[in-house]
Amino acid sequence: MPHPPRTRSTPAVVAGLAAAGAAFVLLPLLALIVRAPWSDAWSLVSSETALTALRVSVVVSLLAALLSVLLGAPLGWILARARFRGRSVLRAVVILPLVLPPVVAGIGLLAALGRRGLVGRLLYEAGIQLTFSTAGAVVAATFVSMPLVVIAVEAGLRSLDERLEDAAATLGASPGFRLRHVVLPLLRPQLVAGAILAWARALGEFGATITFAGNLQGRTQTLPLAVFEARQTDPGAAIVVSLLLVALSVGVLVAMRDRLLAR
Amino acid sequence: MTRSSIAGTCIILALTACSSAPISGGESSPQASELTVFAGSSLTKGFTELGADFEAAHPGATVTFNFGPSDGLAAQIDSEGGADVFASASQTWMDDVAGKAGITGRTDFVTNELVIITPSDDPAGIGSLDDLASPGVQVVLAAEGVPVGDYAREALTNAKIDGAVLANVVSNAEDDAAVVATIISGEADAGIVYVSDVTAEVAPGVRSVEIPDDVNVIATYPIAIVDGSSNTELAQQWVHFVTTGDGQTRLVGEFGFLPAA
Repeated sequence: MPHPPRTRSTPAVVAGLAAAGAAFVLLPLLALIVRAPWSDAWSLVSSETALTALRVSVVVSLLAALLSVLLGAPLGWILARARFRGRSVLRAVVILPLVLPPVVAGIGLLAALGRRGLVGRLLYEAGIQLTFSTAGAVVAATFVSMPLVVIAVEAGLRSLDERLEDAAATLGASPGFRLRHVVLPLLRPQLVAGAILAWARALGEFGATITFAGNLQGRTQTLPLAVFEARQTDPGAAIVVSLLLVALSVGVLVAMRDRLLAR
Repeated sequence: MTRSSIAGTCIILALTACSSAPISGGESSPQASELTVFAGSSLTKGFTELGADFEAAHPGATVTFNFGPSDGLAAQIDSEGGADVFASASQTWMDDVAGKAGITGRTDFVTNELVIITPSDDPAGIGSLDDLASPGVQVVLAAEGVPVGDYAREALTNAKIDGAVLANVVSNAEDDAAVVATIISGEADAGIVYVSDVTAEVAPGVRSVEIPDDVNVIATYPIAIVDGSSNTELAQQWVHFVTTGDGQTRLVGEFGFLPAA
């Protein structure tokens, strides 16, 4: 069998720019590895500050990913399927946190959910305070991560073959049955990809968290906040904890690599 | 393969050429002179206004400021340079720059002391420093390592209430500006900042509670010219302006600082 002719060779300019792009991303990561105080690395990573921040980060980011799916997937559904006025406006607003500076998100959350905020004052009267609490850190992380689920689910639903649902409907399946047995199984890859991306985004959240939830060890100090604080007192520890964060994020992305490529 | 790697090298060279060209080709005209001052964030308001005064008194001079926590500024100067003058809120970080980047003409130019601030409606009923130790009071301090955060902890230790107050801390903020913002918004009950942080703009939004002299901490601010400054003469004039000249008068008279001892 003859090989197909190799007509798709990469132009040198593209290859060169691609190499520069890759180097641009890799260089800071490499520099972190080079600069890390490796002899103390273990004691720094296993320090109480780092372990506590790791625990807070894991709890906060997982809950934020869960909430993002719970609230974001239905939003994606509405945007893909429902017909109503202002849908494109709603889509723009819902996706806005992706491009908003996180500190702005934090100020907005304070104005809405702080103990003097529009809704927050009612919560506060009922004995609930989100600011300076782990729940507040989850709220901040969810705010910035949820759009990733919305986008993934909306795209997934749009590419879904609706004839499969129609077929199920003609066979007498109720809407609830179709959702559970037809749509959700077909949507699973996008749902999982959205959830993992949201998790990764929540893991790296900094600006909205420090603005809305503050910075307190064991309660709202996630790994990025611990890195920020350590920079002032112990730059070596900041680098080691940064690498811990890089390792976690790489783990998340590697875990979903197959899902991204499979599509 | 070879061609693509050559292209990559060309691009890297092009980028390097771009970035180095303005620096090596910088022939500054004799009139225009630029001064870059790195200053602790508690100096933001005062220095910004003094900068305008200084520029008016020195035609052609432009003063650019980089405000931030003194520890962060010291780290920037030590690793990246870029400062003609450094004004620090603590001796610690001036020592740090002296030991790494190098400085000349170090002088103490103002002092500052601590004050408690609460939201103007004082939700937790703070009447004295000891009240910060009451159960349930939500206290915000600047983080450890930030001068005002360290001074606040020192004052609490002096008053022997550090344990109880630190248990009430709900957030370790980035710097004094962040503490002020949190208190103005009413999200926390009390914070400890510099007297000079309660500027004319801030004063209506907060309520100040004095810290007794016997436990209060006096912060002494040093200023110095950083080695490698590209404009030593103008840097000296700035230091003179804020240590003995009109700048000193305004810092003490208008911006809440105390004269250096």
